[in-house]
Amino acid sequence: MASIEYFEVECTERLGGEYYKQITNDVLLDHNLLRVINKLHVFIDPKVPIFVAVGVMKRVSSRVRVQDFANINPVEGKTILVISDETYLAPMLKVFWQRFGKDHVEQPDRFTVILYDVPASTQEIEEIVVADPSEALYKDLIYALRCIAPEGFRVRRETYGKEKFSFVASEDTLNGSADALIKEKFALMGETP
Amino acid sequence: MILVPITYRGGVYRHDEIIALIEDLGGYIVQKHMIAQEVVLQSFVPRDDIDLIRAVAKPLSGEVIDSPLVGTEIAVVIPSLEIHHLPHPACDIAEYTRRLGAKSNMVGMARGVGKRIANINDEERDVINEHDIAVYVLGNFETCIEYKMPFLRRGVEVPIVLCGAPDKETLQRIIQPPVDGYVGNVGRFMHRTKESDELAMLDEIIAEITRVLEKKRVEIAKDPLSVSPARLMDVIREQVPAILDVTSPTPLTVQMAGLRVKLPYDTFAGVLKKTEIEDGITIGDITEVVPSRMRDYILVKILPFSSTNTVI
Repeated sequence: MASIEYFEVECTERLGGEYYKQITNDVLLDHNLLRVINKLHVFIDPKVPIFVAVGVMKRVSSRVRVQDFANINPVEGKTILVISDETYLAPMLKVFWQRFGKDHVEQPDRFTVILYDVPASTQEIEEIVVADPSEALYKDLIYALRCIAPEGFRVRRETYGKEKFSFVASEDTLNGSADALIKEKFALMGETP
Repeated sequence: MILVPITYRGGVYRHDEIIALIEDLGGYIVQKHMIAQEVVLQSFVPRDDIDLIRAVAKPLSGEVIDSPLVGTEIAVVIPSLEIHHLPHPACDIAEYTRRLGAKSNMVGMARGVGKRIANINDEERDVINEHDIAVYVLGNFETCIEYKMPFLRRGVEVPIVLCGAPDKETLQRIIQPPVDGYVGNVGRFMHRTKESDELAMLDEIIAEITRVLEKKRVEIAKDPLSVSPARLMDVIREQVPAILDVTSPTPLTVQMAGLRVKLPYDTFAGVLKKTEIEDGITIGDITEVVPSRMRDYILVKILPFSSTNTVI
């Protein structure tokens, strides 16, 4: 948990709280979200019942550019890209096809892409933005919090600002007291919603 | 002759000798798994002959292990089949009981979640009641378990082992009327059970299940069954050839006091009832053949000596 600055699970039952700390850790780890969360406070009261998770995200420069995962070697009349991580290969090809046309893009094997006669310099190619994972981050985060929350809690309300997020779930209709709880839990982390 | 459940594990080479030996001794093979080069036989053998089987198995590098769960069918009951309970807690428990010889089925409830709406429906109740024992795997909160358990166990007549995150004493305190077994510190978790303390927890569940089943076995022994389920399985396998065409992993599932026959009830119930076991006594004479709530299978419930006056 070194990468998270603040991580607390508050629960009215001691043992249940310990289990939920473990669950929260496991789920965030599985979804690869620990690296993007800065602060997280979870509050559960099974008697009400209510589940609240509030937190602050890290500021991540999330745009993925060609240079992040490919080495570019210009050779006479063509540019050879050696791919080191395949994760963004498909969106990259899509961008190339759109920009340069399929005739100018060739992929002889898994880790090599060759561009022929493209009207762009090496530096321009390096700077091309291929993907922006932060678009999906919100969905991933809410999905993870749904996994963490006790199962019967199917009435949910989630908010996601620039960096701060909150997630409230309960079995019953959520009323105004949920907002007060969110404020209270943010205050515990030294933040305002 | 007292039959005890064992598992034989060894190579494929000459394993037919072991099968022949078990059958000659009067034992029964409940399940046979062939996994690559390995053979696993779950069987009932006469208690006095275990050493003989060990001796025969030794040159074949086979081993004989006591497995108290062979010949039992266990329901692992969870509040739903959602990611919250699957795959880790429920599958790991079901898999572990299977490894020790039981046939385990998972029962995920339609409305087992939450506090306010938690309930059991008639199909779930009937399916659970067709098993030898029900293992309830509930969650992490004492309040919820206390509140929900009376609803989730309504109408369930088989012994129940309750697993939950609160410790055993707390579970015993909050569940009224008491259930047959409790295992604490097994709540909802989201990782594989591979640490030694987690495996110890699985062992504890098995120990509790074994204890409860042993109690049930003693109860059954007071009024013995008219025929042993394993023997009935053999009879059906020999005389109802249609069972050999069933592709399910256990076409005949042995239970402690009965048998699940995975053939359609409408077509085969009559055939089963008329099947002769010995000396003109048919299956219909000493058992109740009823439709199972699980698909269209047949459930054969063996009647005790007191109601048939026959033991074969």
